[in-house]
Amino acid sequence: MRAIDKNIAACPTCHNLVQMPFGKQKGYALCPRCDSEVYMRKSDAVQKTWALLLASIVFYIPANLLPMMHVITFAGTESDTIMSGVFYFISDKSYLIAFVIFTASIFVPILKILILIYLLISVQKRSCMHRQRRKKLYVLTEIIGRWSMVDVYVVGVMTALVHFAGLTEIKPGIGANFFLLVVILTMFAAMSFDPKLIWDIKECNENREQ
Amino acid sequence: MNPHYHVCHECDTLNKISTPNRPGRYKCANCSAKLYTYKPAMNERIYALNLAALFLFILTNYFPFLSFHVAGSVSHANFATSIIYLYRDHEWLLGTAILLTTIVFPLVRILIYIILFGSQFHNYLPRYATHMIKILNKLLPWGMLDVFFLAILVSIVKLVKMGTIIPGTSLWAFILMVFILAWSQSMYDPHQVWEHIGRRRKALQQKEKLATI
Ligand SMILES: [Zn+2]
Ligand SMILES: [Zn+2]
Repeated sequence: MRAIDKNIAACPTCHNLVQMPFGKQKGYALCPRCDSEVYMRKSDAVQKTWALLLASIVFYIPANLLPMMHVITFAGTESDTIMSGVFYFISDKSYLIAFVIFTASIFVPILKILILIYLLISVQKRSCMHRQRRKKLYVLTEIIGRWSMVDVYVVGVMTALVHFAGLTEIKPGIGANFFLLVVILTMFAAMSFDPKLIWDIKECNENREQ
Repeated sequence: MNPHYHVCHECDTLNKISTPNRPGRYKCANCSAKLYTYKPAMNERIYALNLAALFLFILTNYFPFLSFHVAGSVSHANFATSIIYLYRDHEWLLGTAILLTTIVFPLVRILIYIILFGSQFHNYLPRYATHMIKILNKLLPWGMLDVFFLAILVSIVKLVKMGTIIPGTSLWAFILMVFILAWSQSMYDPHQVWEHIGRRRKALQQKEKLATI
């Protein structure tokens, strides 16, 4: 039994069950226990997620092409993009650190964007396929999304530690800003998607019960 | 706790919780998402853990977590220095993002936990509990101390070739704090908070009734 069939929604603040006064997806009720607004589903989840996702794809390009940080030494300035950092560590035989940076900065954002596109299209096509797997993918995007911030923090820590004027200095590059925006936007995109939509398609549930 | 229904936040299935007083993890019957973990004495534990976390938070932010030696010169970094240097380079966006995710949001979370669970521990009715829990829910994904921990490790490996890296006192306090916060988060269950508030409210109302008679 699903809550939507009984016209019940759970309060996001206190997990109280609230009887919804209006029919289906629109409108909200006030929780009798804690006075929070209770929605049946996140409002306009699909459109909002698409918008945030497209914006993050746009920012993802300069984030990868522009330098993340500048290393200024007496010999001159050297600029690092994400990819060049990974290659540097591979040539340096620090495979573990190359793997961490590659996973957090390149693999995770792309994976997250692809998973969300797949979820959005499958919901819009009212697909009944692989619902358990899609639910798992959504949980995965929620868990891994934050870890892309690693590269932004690394730039911050390096700037804080390396500032010996005239000798070596590290300054953040414009790419770090774009990368930060990508992380924030993909996190918002994952939050605005509603995983309950995966299970909301009536025909699938009827087929399963037969 | 009384027997109750719990709506799965992933798939909207109504799950009947018939043995709510048995400690353990409760999972959705349809999609096996984790609904919540029931641990007795959640109140006291979360309160104690967050008091410890607050103490560690002050330590972490007071002492430098890394020192870096290059050719005779030394630099120290704590959480605030990275933000100060970013602001000095006019990197407002980066500086603000790091300030919020590593200092402001974690501190607000710790303080809210202390107020919310401390007031129950000392038998007050927490005021503004709705607002506090709403803020907690909003902030949960944005406090990124665990991610910052990984970033410190990566930075150490990156810098180890350029000079000498010496981990500071606050790094150990920081690691401990990350574990304590994760531990207290795994126990957190708003349902119990509201059961508790409901009981307190009833008791207060009965007191008022008695007083009027
Ligand atoms: Zn409520
Ligand atoms: Zn479920």
